Amino acid sequence: MKVVRCVFGAAAVLVLSSLGDASIAKPQHVMSLNLCSDELLLDLVPSGRIASVTYYARSRSNAYRWSQAAAVPINHGLAEEVLEQKPDLVLAGTYTTPTTRALLRKAAIPLLEVPPANSFAEIRAVTRMVAHALDEEARGEALIAGMDATLDALARTKPLKVIRVASWNGAGTVPGKGSLFDAILAAAGGMNVASSTQGVRSGSFDIEELLLAGPDVLAYGADSNGMPVLRTDGEQHPLILKVYARRRVAYPEVLYSCGVPESADAAVALRAKLIAAMHAGAGP
Amino acid sequence: MKCSWLMPVVVGMLGVMFVVSLLVGRVWLGPLQILHELTVPTPRLAALIVTELRLPRAVLACIVGATLGLSGAVLQGLTRNPLAEPGLLGVSAGASLGAVIAIYFGMTSLTELSGPLMGMVGALAASALTFALGRNGGTLALILAGTAVSGLAAALIAVALNLAPNPYAAYEIMTWLMGSLADRSWNSVLLVLPFVVVGCAMLLHTSRGLDALSLGELQAQSLGINLQQLRVLVVLGTALAVGATTSVTGAIGFIGLVAPHLVRPLVGHHPRRILIPAAALGALLLLCADIATRLIRIGPEIKLGVFTSLVGSPFFFWLVIRLRRTSP
Repeated sequence: MKVVRCVFGAAAVLVLSSLGDASIAKPQHVMSLNLCSDELLLDLVPSGRIASVTYYARSRSNAYRWSQAAAVPINHGLAEEVLEQKPDLVLAGTYTTPTTRALLRKAAIPLLEVPPANSFAEIRAVTRMVAHALDEEARGEALIAGMDATLDALARTKPLKVIRVASWNGAGTVPGKGSLFDAILAAAGGMNVASSTQGVRSGSFDIEELLLAGPDVLAYGADSNGMPVLRTDGEQHPLILKVYARRRVAYPEVLYSCGVPESADAAVALRAKLIAAMHAGAGP
Repeated sequence: MKCSWLMPVVVGMLGVMFVVSLLVGRVWLGPLQILHELTVPTPRLAALIVTELRLPRAVLACIVGATLGLSGAVLQGLTRNPLAEPGLLGVSAGASLGAVIAIYFGMTSLTELSGPLMGMVGALAASALTFALGRNGGTLALILAGTAVSGLAAALIAVALNLAPNPYAAYEIMTWLMGSLADRSWNSVLLVLPFVVVGCAMLLHTSRGLDALSLGELQAQSLGINLQQLRVLVVLGTALAVGATTSVTGAIGFIGLVAPHLVRPLVGHHPRRILIPAAALGALLLLCADIATRLIRIGPEIKLGVFTSLVGSPFFFWLVIRLRRTSP
């Protein structure tokens, strides 16, 4: 936790210095170049203050707030689009669009580089960071308070037995230790079997390994479009169906790609599904 | 030369398209606006977009296109085969593999030049292997060795995709393999330039040998051409020039195949006369293709390598149809 505070503290200092006077005025025309900052931006300000979000944000498969994103213009992360849209603040990820970020820094255009959030502590820090830059601290704190209340309620009603869960995310990999899935699952009262057997953040399972690990429940990241994907073949393997017939749950993977205050709601939904699966599995 | 107007026209069009490539993009910047932006004391975004994105991109398009056109012409001359292209010796596949290794091991996050540097290592290693395999077996052995090395490199790229540490790395590798000039910087230009200059000088130096070779290998030897030395020059020149450009842009197909074919009927069938016009036309074609990728708006920018393949593949059909007409 200390490390998280240090990292985000340092990032916030950088942000404040790079934003300069721009952080004092309320940005009215904000552009986001990263899917996760898109979600936070759509969370924190009305669409009238948004210059654009990335084209991913309109995709039902990628984004939680896709319907809101349909009402605002889009961008493809290009410096030329920044020139075209003339934002008074640009939000970007710390890994994506490196060339555009470098040019924006050179041109002294107010830029906030938002690190990814893979835990609830990081979600708090990132939400505060973005809310501060948007001069929407009250809205940011309200979202965090809502998230914390949900997490407290989940902690109070934790199942007596920890539910061991194995998951495949949408890309066919297994979310491992330190992933957002790990954090949401822990809040839901589950334990990610991959966090001890797999590498950090992501790995992969085959059916044999999965059966040997013996999780209580299998979880699948489901595409919101319901489009069939190759990995469905693995999910539908007769052996898996036989052993885990009633202990399989699907989770909407859009809620697990970016850490946002709504990630707590994802934990609530996951808890309900896990408990239902445990009951169904224990039944006759 | 049959058409004395060819070079002035191609070079003139190249100049025009070079200026156009500075003006077009997602945002149209007028010439007067660019001049105004460049005179403002503190650099603004529009000026930076022109000087640090569009200008290096246009310069790189010319360098890469010229290299591909020249090496395509040289390889078609060496092999006396109209289907020869710069990827023939395994150089492009080797460069791609090197860059993919850099992406796979996350070296690209250390410095943006790690991809190109590893690409050049891959290109040189591939060409060394090609040459070692096909050294004493004549041109045919060299082509076969190049095909084998390309196959090996493609297999190793597939291994990297197969074992990619996460889906994002696999996606990054796939995207890089499509070939693009987007977001390249002056660093890329400076990195490839020395290798391209030396490599192209070696390729140009083969012109007399290629002319003699057009009469046949035995006739060329009787004219005093050292065929082994000629092959070394072609392999090394291609490795340096095409290897360097592929490491920066990814694989860009068809320019090296098409450019020599288009100039050949206009300048005559002497390989020597084709080299410089093929290089100039290669530069023009790639610059035009790059401008087109910026103007076509169907979501994210279409990759340059994808575009050249899409536009260039009908050329193969034309080659086949022509062959059917001309063959007895």
